Amino acid sequence: MKRWISFLLAFSFLCLAGCGAPTVGDVGTSGQIFAMDTVMNLTLFGERAESALESARTEITRLEQLLSRTREESQISMLNAHAGDGVEISVESDLAGLLAFAKSVHQALPGCFDITIAPVMDAWGFTKDAYRVPGEEELAELLELVNSEDLLVDEQASTARLARSGMELDLGALAKGFAAGRVQAAIQAEGITCAMLDLGGNITALGSKEDGSPWRVAVKNPQDTGTYVGVLSLTDATASTSGGYERYFEEDGVRYHHIIDPKTGAPAQSGLLSVSVISPDPLLADALSTALFVAGEEEALDYWRQSEDFELVLCTQDNRVVVTQGLEESFRFDGEELGYTYEIARR
Amino acid sequence: MRLPAAERRRPGPGDGIIAALVIAAAVVLLLLLRPASGDVLTATVLLDGAQVGQYDLSGVEQSFLLPLEGTAYPVVIELQPGRVRVAESGCPSQDCVHTGWADSPGEQIICLPNRLVISLSGTDHPDFDAVTG
Repeated sequence: MKRWISFLLAFSFLCLAGCGAPTVGDVGTSGQIFAMDTVMNLTLFGERAESALESARTEITRLEQLLSRTREESQISMLNAHAGDGVEISVESDLAGLLAFAKSVHQALPGCFDITIAPVMDAWGFTKDAYRVPGEEELAELLELVNSEDLLVDEQASTARLARSGMELDLGALAKGFAAGRVQAAIQAEGITCAMLDLGGNITALGSKEDGSPWRVAVKNPQDTGTYVGVLSLTDATASTSGGYERYFEEDGVRYHHIIDPKTGAPAQSGLLSVSVISPDPLLADALSTALFVAGEEEALDYWRQSEDFELVLCTQDNRVVVTQGLEESFRFDGEELGYTYEIARR
Repeated sequence: MRLPAAERRRPGPGDGIIAALVIAAAVVLLLLLRPASGDVLTATVLLDGAQVGQYDLSGVEQSFLLPLEGTAYPVVIELQPGRVRVAESGCPSQDCVHTGWADSPGEQIICLPNRLVISLSGTDHPDFDAVTG
């Protein structure tokens, strides 16, 4: 009998211990970094995660010093300071490549993407958080300075210059994507094959989760950012989202958001609330999320139909979630209760 | 006098009662000690990456305002049963105030000028690893 009772006691306490304890697993090595006007949360898995995280921090610091236009010593600030004076500015080779890429997006989607938009951003106060509504004449004058064709880049010589005085560059529309790609390369060089890089809501999923399943990335509801229109299953891909809800101010009852249409100089009114671009290329995802938000649904889907290297989740002002065909199996729509209808765009 | 082995090992009615009580106690403890599903929500407040406070929102019984110390701009957070928000901020962008209430595990409120992050976690784990947007 004593053995029987002992067995029961042991069994019961084993049950208690097992059920009450928190789940133990590898939660990875995480770090939080404030840089590029955002918060970055990096979670890395693997034996060399600690040193890889340090490499990531070093790379982000380097990029911030390179790309920021509010740091006087950055190469972007140098380019801006010498606008129109004919001086070729030597830049890092990866910055020359980035500027050339920005020009290529400008050419692919004319009027939807322009990194020379900085003077207009300043006029709205989005650079220094000193918001105001500029007048039409002021905007018309500033728009004269906006044209990426007057950004001259020599990738071979690693030099660049702005052709006209008063022009300025702002890389806010692609800096996080560029950083994600560079951080990904840095940690992969340390042998990391499994990581989640959250650069201010631009999510890069490296590899799959440790159990082999895809990373699950929720897409914010632009009308209530505490809820989600759906969940993406991602492996080796970036999801980058642009939406007017991210940064805005209100004046006289009107809301003005921070994504400026280079054609009008005013916040883009394209009928979209948010655009998420999913691509293996973090830089492409970041740049296109801004460009296609400005472009609007029809042009965005036309551009997607001509391309092979990205997919889209569009949230429209008339409460539709439009997902491109390539995500049909990897997107779970959760927006019905939020008042959205669901559509799949096909080629 | 020693009983034969077979007779000594045979359980009596009293033994059965003891065994039943042990099992019942185990089940009761199991129910009492297991984490309650979905009803524990914690707000962790980080300033420049360092934790400055942690609040059990499921234990909050009435609304209260909490001014934060050590921030670049004055910030007041408001705690209510099951949710938290930045009620006031002296920061220029006001993005943190615009975020509104956060009430689910995985949500974050961020005030960049103050390098402030309020993160929610809980026993009711979200079924995603990250959020884009």
